[in-house]
Amino acid sequence: MTEMAKRRELGQAVPLGALFTAFLAVSLYGVGGGGGIVWARRIAVEKRRWISDREFADIVSLCQFMPGPNIVGIAVCVGAKMRGTIGTIAAVSGFLVIPWAIGFSVGLLFLEYAHLPVLRNILGGIAATAAGLLIATGIRLLLPHQRRPAALLFAGLAFGLITFAKLPLLAVLFVLVPLSIAIAGIEKARVR
Amino acid sequence: MIGPSAPLAPSAPLALTMYFALVSSISFGGFPTVLPDVRNFVVGTHGWMTDQDFANIFAMAQSIPGPNMILMMSFLGSKVWGFPGAIASAFATFGPPCTIYFASYRLWDRFRDAPWQQIVRLRLIPVVMGLVIASGTVMARAADTSWRAVAVTLAAAAITLATRLSPLWMLLVGGALGGLGLL
Repeated sequence: MTEMAKRRELGQAVPLGALFTAFLAVSLYGVGGGGGIVWARRIAVEKRRWISDREFADIVSLCQFMPGPNIVGIAVCVGAKMRGTIGTIAAVSGFLVIPWAIGFSVGLLFLEYAHLPVLRNILGGIAATAAGLLIATGIRLLLPHQRRPAALLFAGLAFGLITFAKLPLLAVLFVLVPLSIAIAGIEKARVR
Repeated sequence: MIGPSAPLAPSAPLALTMYFALVSSISFGGFPTVLPDVRNFVVGTHGWMTDQDFANIFAMAQSIPGPNMILMMSFLGSKVWGFPGAIASAFATFGPPCTIYFASYRLWDRFRDAPWQQIVRLRLIPVVMGLVIASGTVMARAADTSWRAVAVTLAAAAITLATRLSPLWMLLVGGALGGLGLL
């Protein structure tokens, strides 16, 4: 955060073209639902070092609470953080314009050939891999919290309620988050 | 493929665009939460397409690269009003949420050192990461139809945690294994 502020003062603003191409890559690489978060972290945190893991987790959490396609939200927030309104427009355009055109054309072709077994098998293999990538990204963003038992408990509860109890996402979010914050309040009072 | 299969009321494009703008503004948790409602609207209430059309479009939107939810709505729009319908649906799907994301990020950023935000941050993130891991597991459950596919999922997760290898290589290997009929 402070490093970012310094960089901004020095006038080393991230070029708009870099925001455009970074989110173009995030969009094109993210195959299937949920793949985008893997690539957004890989590119914005690991490769370009625009934001820290902590800031990335902040942005993902914020977007979870908002309506709409969450990965577009990551583009909006990272763009806004780096360059304000114009940065948001660059990141969102990168994320949407070219991938939409490609996706729309590929999709029309795909509807023609969806019955071919080879195509289905390839997509099956990609989906199995993509699932593993998504699990690993969640674990990695949870690592900074590993020493706090309450954090692990609530991560486990959220995981279990969706995976095994199959509750709707919205219900899980709006029950667990207030509960988690309330327990934080109690812990704080006890320390005092 | 593009274009309506039956004659439509002239107000249909407007009704669809307004509906997508509304639905995208309330799609908390992303697309899966509103999917049933969208199906009811385009198949049930208006009869713009068949259940089979809807299922094909969904399967395709899940498996091609790019912004899936927006593409899915665009394909639904193109069924109703051809190419202009696709463009209008895309804008209706990402416009309102982007405005909301931008406004709330600004608000969040302005109060970034407030004590309440530290508490929310510490408590919210573990829950959200539990949800991310859960969506990976739900995806795996759909994709892993054999023990070999399960092994691919576990290997991809382990390699991601242990190394900085680009996910692209893993996706290529996964796709190749699938294409060769090994999964």
